[in-house]
Amino acid sequence: MASTPAVPISEQLQQLQAARKLALENSAYYDRIVKGVLPVIGPASSIELKRWGAEFLAESLATPVLSMRDKESLTLAVLDTLKSLLESEQDDAIVLKASIAAAASAYPVVLRWIIHNSYHTDAWEQISAIKSRILRIWDGAPAPVRLSCIKFAQRVVLAQTTSNGQEAKYGGLDISLGMVPANHPLLDPRLMEAEATGLLDRMLGVLQDNSSDALLVDATLNCLSILIRTRPSTSNRIINCVLNFNPLKLANSPMTPKNKVLMKSMEKTTRMLMINILKRDPNNQHGGRIQQYVERLMRSRAEIFDEAGRKRQLADQAAAQYGDLKRQKMEGAAAAAPGPAAPAQPVVIPPLAPGPQTLAAVFTLTNNRGLQAFDATNIPANLVAKIVARTLNTLDQSVLDFAVNGIRSRLHTLQSAAVAAAAQYAAQGAPVQPGAINPATAPLGVDEDDDDYEPNLDAAEDTEQILNKLDNAPPETALDEYADPNAALGLGPFNLPPPPLIDADIASKLSSVAASRVFAPLSSLTADVPGKKPKAGINRLAASSYDRDAWLTVVTRLATRSTFGLEQEEQQQPAVKTEDGGAVSRPPLASTFNNATRELLYTYVLEDWRRRIEVAVAWLCEEWYNDQLTKRSGNLKNAPLHYEYWALRLLDGFMTFITAQDKVLTRFLAEIPELSRELLGKLKTLCGDPNTLGLAMTSLLYLVMMRPPVREMALDTVGGIWIEYEEARPLAAKYLSKWRPGWVEQQLQLQAAQVAAGVGGNGAALVA
Amino acid sequence: MDTANGNATSASAAPAAPAQQNGHREDPGGFKLKFCTVCASNQNRSMEGHLRLALANYPVISFGTGSLVRLPGPSITQPNVYKFNETSYDSIYRELEAKDPRLYRANGLLNMLGRNRNIKWGPERWQDWQIGMPRVKKETDKGFEGMEGGVADIVITCEERCWDAVIDDLLNRGSPLNRAVHVINIDIKDNHEEASVGGRAMVDLADSLNKVAREERDRVGAAAFDSGSGAGRASFDERVPEVIGEWQERWPNLPATWTLAWF
Repeated sequence: MASTPAVPISEQLQQLQAARKLALENSAYYDRIVKGVLPVIGPASSIELKRWGAEFLAESLATPVLSMRDKESLTLAVLDTLKSLLESEQDDAIVLKASIAAAASAYPVVLRWIIHNSYHTDAWEQISAIKSRILRIWDGAPAPVRLSCIKFAQRVVLAQTTSNGQEAKYGGLDISLGMVPANHPLLDPRLMEAEATGLLDRMLGVLQDNSSDALLVDATLNCLSILIRTRPSTSNRIINCVLNFNPLKLANSPMTPKNKVLMKSMEKTTRMLMINILKRDPNNQHGGRIQQYVERLMRSRAEIFDEAGRKRQLADQAAAQYGDLKRQKMEGAAAAAPGPAAPAQPVVIPPLAPGPQTLAAVFTLTNNRGLQAFDATNIPANLVAKIVARTLNTLDQSVLDFAVNGIRSRLHTLQSAAVAAAAQYAAQGAPVQPGAINPATAPLGVDEDDDDYEPNLDAAEDTEQILNKLDNAPPETALDEYADPNAALGLGPFNLPPPPLIDADIASKLSSVAASRVFAPLSSLTADVPGKKPKAGINRLAASSYDRDAWLTVVTRLATRSTFGLEQEEQQQPAVKTEDGGAVSRPPLASTFNNATRELLYTYVLEDWRRRIEVAVAWLCEEWYNDQLTKRSGNLKNAPLHYEYWALRLLDGFMTFITAQDKVLTRFLAEIPELSRELLGKLKTLCGDPNTLGLAMTSLLYLVMMRPPVREMALDTVGGIWIEYEEARPLAAKYLSKWRPGWVEQQLQLQAAQVAAGVGGNGAALVA
Repeated sequence: MDTANGNATSASAAPAAPAQQNGHREDPGGFKLKFCTVCASNQNRSMEGHLRLALANYPVISFGTGSLVRLPGPSITQPNVYKFNETSYDSIYRELEAKDPRLYRANGLLNMLGRNRNIKWGPERWQDWQIGMPRVKKETDKGFEGMEGGVADIVITCEERCWDAVIDDLLNRGSPLNRAVHVINIDIKDNHEEASVGGRAMVDLADSLNKVAREERDRVGAAAFDSGSGAGRASFDERVPEVIGEWQERWPNLPATWTLAWF
């Protein structure tokens, strides 16, 4: 304030900055600090303070940390200062820009407050004065101020049109005309909407004039999205206007760097807005037109800018590895294609230059330097396969024959050179070392001889190297040799070395690796949608399609059958097999793979056992079937049986996780092919827990009712439960009295007799 | 009033020479634009820019626009993937170092992460940024000074895709803050060398922009009376495209796109 000039401005600014920091750190201080600084930043203060103040107000009124309620009290408190800042400040764009931004944030907040507090005419008068002041300075203001005016107008339009309720509920974006009651004493919805329409037209004016002021165009375009999206009454008007806007009008003016930036900017901004609209609302009624417009823009842009782009690319290439690529291309084209209308130009196969050759050189048929330097191994194998297949398809047979013969004659030349060199080597009896001359011991004058150095005489080693390389070359380069077996290069037959012997440890390691790889596809295979799977009934093949079920069938059969008939041989060797499955200390060789697969299958089922119960049942069926085959074939007496063991393990596995809701247990017991007393006995442990007691008993009851062959066994188990678990007695007694009338009474009498006879120990043991 | 202006005006000779050295430099004080750098994963290009701008004493924050932080792995089909905002540079560093120190040192990842963990805690996602939320708890971040308000004046993206994502996101947010922001894309290839070149270009651009912004700030009182005529008198916002055009001439291999958007 002018009345406190004692403190220098820089110091005042520092204090204000500290106060702002306090508010940022704790939003509770906002109210106090904003109200506290209002006198300091008033119209009479220095320009620095006003700038800081206007910017601080803009920041405070926009901050997302305050709730709508806090913002209301804050906004109402600053209206007066805001108004005087806007009215007193004529020139400073920074003050005006920030003040208008603050007003833009304030407008919807004040409007909302007026809607609910119609008596507060002061606030409405103040904001109306602010609005008319802003709209008055809009035209003719400096660019930054006009930017803010555009945004202010957008907020007024947003607040004074009817919403479709699709906007986010923050920052006052959701305040709309729909909230104004028809009989509001201060606000007339019809007038407000008319004002909004007028302001929207004024905003869009910059587009209608096809302005090339990118700053204003971008600012306008970038605030239209939310209007189109959430204010249906504005969207037609805006979209039509944008579709008629030509952002590339500047293309006719000189292409200065600035113009390029402006044009690119307007084109891209327009396109982004349209794409955003299409993305948010693909069924927009203007969808087709927007699509066309966007495509047309992209085409025009490509036409205008592409030239420059292409030039740059060539410049990049020229700087690349092979020097002046452009010229080389011209040379190559001139040499290879004498005229455009010469379709079958003769292929010229130049003879090899004398001297040592690389393998690549032997197979290179082109004269083009650039192509010669090209490293074909950079191309991915699948691409090479495609290119080769297509080329071979379209290639003229005679050209291919010619090329093959050309290579063949080159190889012949090399071979004869090698033979000649070998003969010379034998005749001289001394190796001729090319190149490697120790400078210290070199004979005098050898440097001058370098030029006359005739490498043809020393080709022996190099030729051998070439032949070695040929042996090791991948088949595609060796194709020519296979094409003509007579062109053999004097090599003996080649045999692969015998594979190393595998001992038991390595074999078991490899088995488990193989088994785990069998499971790899499961994670990527999808289960078939149950609806669309046709039921083939008894005629179906187990694994005809490549889906998860089919693969699981394969896996279970691999686990159970793959070594069928091999196991018993190992079995006959003394003391090898221990029937304890996964943790076999020294597994017989043949069964390691099976057991590893079984182990993994077990893990797979248990990972999600409620859903994979079908897999478990299918697997156990396979095991059972396999066991039956084993039993039936007479000579497999000692072969191990797996069904019982794995059924028990699976059941044990489930039991650990079982809860009262797991009806799958009933299903599991009903569906597996064979039940045993031991298996059913496992259910007893469930009866110790009152939660799972019911489940165990229901499962048993189901077996009694639905699986007559195991009825006796199941009833025996129920009986056992009755004896062992006190708390299970009522339920067990109910079932027993129905299916084994008289049994319970008999037991009671028996126990009474035992107690009477004083053999309590036995009874206690039973109860425990 | 006039006596007080002296402090601010004296600092106006901001160095904008393209041959500016990359490392630390004296803080000239005075007005500074606030920057925000954006790339796909908030690891390489945006962080290089973050560091360079911070060393040049600009307030700066950085983000990535991807759905996840993706770093190269042992093969092209096995990238290392992390969540934004939940993973720190330090933990990524330690994880990769434990996985295969030789590989990740050879391809420069560890070096990059080592740099990043000294700049800020972890990669942040643009779309999750609450614009305008005060960033007061980030004192240890490089370029923190001046960023307390949680907004930026200039957003620099490093790839067209990211620019598109930023603009699309701003359109979706509906510009609740009523604050103008210049969004500038600089196409930088995603490798360490290009990122370094791009970082230098960013500092050059920042210097040029800041010089213009400071000129606007320094024009007070009498000088401002005849504003609106003459390029030198034009406002900062107006001169941004011109500055970018000139910058583009200096850096022809980093094609730029610009727009004025709203926070």
